[in-house]
Order: sequence, then structure tokens, then C-alpha cells
Amino acid sequence: MTADTDTRSTLRAQTPGPSTSKEPVRISVRDLTLRFPVYGVDAKSLKKRLAAITVGGRLGSHAGVTEVTALSNVNLELRAGDRLGLVGHNGSGKTTLLRALSGAYEPDEGQVEVEGRIASLLNLSLGIDPSATGYDNIRLRGRVAGLTAREIEERLEGIAEFSGLGPFLAMPVKTYSAGMQARLAFGAATAVDADVLLMDEWIAVGDADFQQLAHKRLLKLVERAGILVIASHDHDLLRLYCNKVMRLEGGIATEVVDIRDMDALLAA
Amino acid sequence: MDSATHMLRTGRRGALFEFNMAFQDLRNSGRRLGLAWSLALHDVMSRYRGSILGPFWITLSMGFMVLGIAFLYANLFAVSVKDFLPMVALGIVFFGVITGVIVEGCETFVAAAGMLSQTSLPMFTFVWRTVFRNLINLGHHLVIVVAVLLVFGTWRHSHPLEALGGLILLVVNAAWISMLVAITAARFRDIPQVVTSVMQFAAFVTPVFWPADRLTGPRRIVLDVNPFYHMLEAVRSPLLGKPTDPGTYAVLTAMALVGWAVTFGLFSVTRRRIVHYL
Repeated sequence: MTADTDTRSTLRAQTPGPSTSKEPVRISVRDLTLRFPVYGVDAKSLKKRLAAITVGGRLGSHAGVTEVTALSNVNLELRAGDRLGLVGHNGSGKTTLLRALSGAYEPDEGQVEVEGRIASLLNLSLGIDPSATGYDNIRLRGRVAGLTAREIEERLEGIAEFSGLGPFLAMPVKTYSAGMQARLAFGAATAVDADVLLMDEWIAVGDADFQQLAHKRLLKLVERAGILVIASHDHDLLRLYCNKVMRLEGGIATEVVDIRDMDALLAA
Repeated sequence: MDSATHMLRTGRRGALFEFNMAFQDLRNSGRRLGLAWSLALHDVMSRYRGSILGPFWITLSMGFMVLGIAFLYANLFAVSVKDFLPMVALGIVFFGVITGVIVEGCETFVAAAGMLSQTSLPMFTFVWRTVFRNLINLGHHLVIVVAVLLVFGTWRHSHPLEALGGLILLVVNAAWISMLVAITAARFRDIPQVVTSVMQFAAFVTPVFWPADRLTGPRRIVLDVNPFYHMLEAVRSPLLGKPTDPGTYAVLTAMALVGWAVTFGLFSVTRRRIVHYL
């Protein structure tokens, strides 16, 4: 991969880029803080809400929404060619950061700016309808990912071939085994042209043959995509796909470092 | 390829900014109407997958309901079936659209939780999905409308263009109620029950099954304050060849303006939070 050497040389020059720069593909996260309001079972009932009002302020303090700070003051600058691995314990904010990058979560403070087409492959089952056929699911998934009906028809053959499901594609997905579902979902999800690819740990799907296939396809996708951000607990996997790494702990992010310094980062 | 190549998400920057972001959501959904349509079509197709008649099943059951009610009530009210049946048939079909859009509104965001929590799809897309789904169903039920108009010869007096205008007013109003319900139902899980009860009640106080002219004098207030009556009449009267009260258009227009203003305002305020409600 030729982009590799370019990236490493620009790695040190991580100035918080002025927004005037017309970089084609770019992720810029500044002072991102994200809090989850926890709407307890209590607060979700209108009756309890109303009851709280009628008895005055006393119960009101309980109705005050509890918040969990999932990310605090995260800063991140990525350019084309950057392939960032996110490491951290469960609940450290990796998935939340990915979701914020996908545009699903709105920051409470700070900002997230992404230039380029985003493909978020956070959940393989996104937009999969178990009672629809394999073909219908590919179409549905493609539409959700932003492809037009025609683009999907053009890619349908390729996806079908990749999935290796053959005649099963005309059957409802609920008749598939877990591995077959993974093949379908993976094929459909990775058929998009993306500049920014967001992935949550789910690469280890299917049998050995399929893992090989998936690996090849993913590498191709990574080559095509300008930026990859992947959260994973599998350090070998991160070494394979990424050239940079960032550690999250309790919603607080470290600096982005070169993948070769991952061990030092993890030991810290 | 409709590519949203630039995305900016920031913390709160005041009411005007929030309003702009809400408006941007609306605009983006407009660019992706095809997606809303595909999702709606998929919903309809998957609901009736494996059945031979497909969505025509509801059309069929609706047809039987129309016949049964029309003959029974025409007897009870001692009016001729010829006058009564077209009224009931159109009433059931178009009130069905109102109920469908509003009741299914409860599920709009809740059912889309998966997509909303990992993509930047506009929220309005899912509102349109609910609306389109019901319009597709209406498309099937038009069989009843056309059959009734033909069989009873009512079509000779119909004003289809006026009815189409009325349908647009109906949908515009049903859509804001649907969205209002969608937001509140995401936050408070009691809302679906409340909405279902209200719509059941509305089916009886709105002249769907009974002729509106049975109410005379001051008792007509029951009709005048009923928004669903106006929504229904805007479509039904022109099809039956009856004059539509100009007041109905005034009420519907005012309702659409105020309703959308309130709903959009609420959306601007809650937009960031909706995904966390789910």
C-alpha cells in the first residue's frame, strides 16, 4: 500500500487543521463531550411524570435526568490514509465515539466534522429483515447505505457471488444459519463506496473460508476508503489493518500514536 | 449517488442554530424521499409476504365491513342504502388513512432505533416512511372508492380535483400529528395506548358510520370542533358531489400551519435527544 508511507510522514504534523483547508477526506473532532441521559423506567411513564407534578417539587428531584458521560473532551484529527484503531476496555467509549463519527449522536459539547462519504458498519444486522429474502435484504441495506436502486442492481451480482449463498438468496433470511447471515450482511454492508469507514469489532464471522474472503474484501475496502476507524480488542487485528492507534479509558482519549507504539500505549 | 459528503455535528449553539439543524434534517429527508419510499414499500411487502391477496386483504375486509355496516345502519337510520353506502365506504377508507398515519406514528422512531443510532439518516425520513406506507395502503383501498362511485353512479357528481386537494390537506395534517406522536411516544411509552384510545373514540364521534346531517342546530358543535371531521369532509364531500364548507378548508389550513409550527418547534428542541430516548 503506497498510501502507507505518505501517512507516516505526515503523522507528526497533526495541527488542528484550519477549516479552510480543502482536504477531500477528513475527520475533525474537537473537544467532543457526549453525555447519555438515562431515562429510567420511572421517567418513561407519563403517569409518573404527572404524579410528580401533582405532589410538587419533592419527587421532582428524582425525576431529574441522570447523565452518564460517555466521552469527555476527545480530540481527533484524521486525514486520508489514516487507519485508526481504537482500544480500550468495555464501556470505555469506543462504540460511542464511532456512533458520534457516524452522525447518529449529537455532541453535547465540542464538534464532530467529517468530510467524505461515511459508511458505518457498526452492526451487521442493521436493516436486515429476517422474513425478507436475501436479495431483498441486500436491496434494503443498500438503500439505507445511500445507494440508488440502480446502483444496487449493478452490484447485486457481485454481492451474491461474494456471499456464496447461491440459491439461498431467494429464501427468507430467517432460514439462514448464523454464519450464512453473517456472509450476507457482510457482503451487503461492504458493497458501498465509502471515504470514511467506521467499524465496530465484528470481523470474526463465518467459517475459515469466509474469513479469508472477508479479510481480502476488507483490505480492498480499506484501500478504497480514505479513512478507517475501527474499534477492537484484538490487537493483532489492529496491527494488521491500522497505522495509528488511540486508547480510550472512561471516555477520555489518549493522543493518537503510531501503531508501532501500541504496546507502550497499552502499558501506560 | 446522493452523497452527504460533509457532516458537521456540534453542541448546542442557541435556539436559532437548533432550528436550522432541524430544518437541515427536513431538507436532507427531502433529498432522500426515495429512501423513505423504498422503506415504506418494503414495510407493506413484508407485512403481506406469503399471502396471495397481499394488501388487498385489508381492502377485502374493509369491503365486507362497508357492506355490513351500510346495510345495517341504513336500516337503523331508515335511509336508503344508495345514499348511505357511498358515504360509509368513503368514510371508512379515508378515516382509515387518518388513523393509520397517526397510530403508526407511535412506532416511527421506536421502530427505527437501530438505524437512528448508527447512521446519520434524517429523522424526517422515518416520518415520511410512515406516511408513505399508509398512502400505499390507500392506493389499494381506492378499489373500494372507485367501485362504490361507479356502482352508485356517484362519480357523475364528483369533483376529483377538489377531493385531491382535500386529500393533500388531510395528509399534511395527519403527518404533523404523526410526527408529534412519534416524538412523544419515543419519550413516554404510555403515548401509544393514549393515541389508540383517542383514535378509537374519534372513530365514533366523527361521522364515519353515521350521517353528519343528523346533527342539527347547536349540536353541530360536536362536528365543528372535531379536527378529524374536517379532514374527512375535505375528501369525502367532493367525491360525493356535495359542496365542501369553506370553513373546513380554513380550519384545515390553520391547523396545518399551527400544527407544523408546534411540531417543528418540538422537533428542534428534542432532535438531539430522540436517539437517546429509544
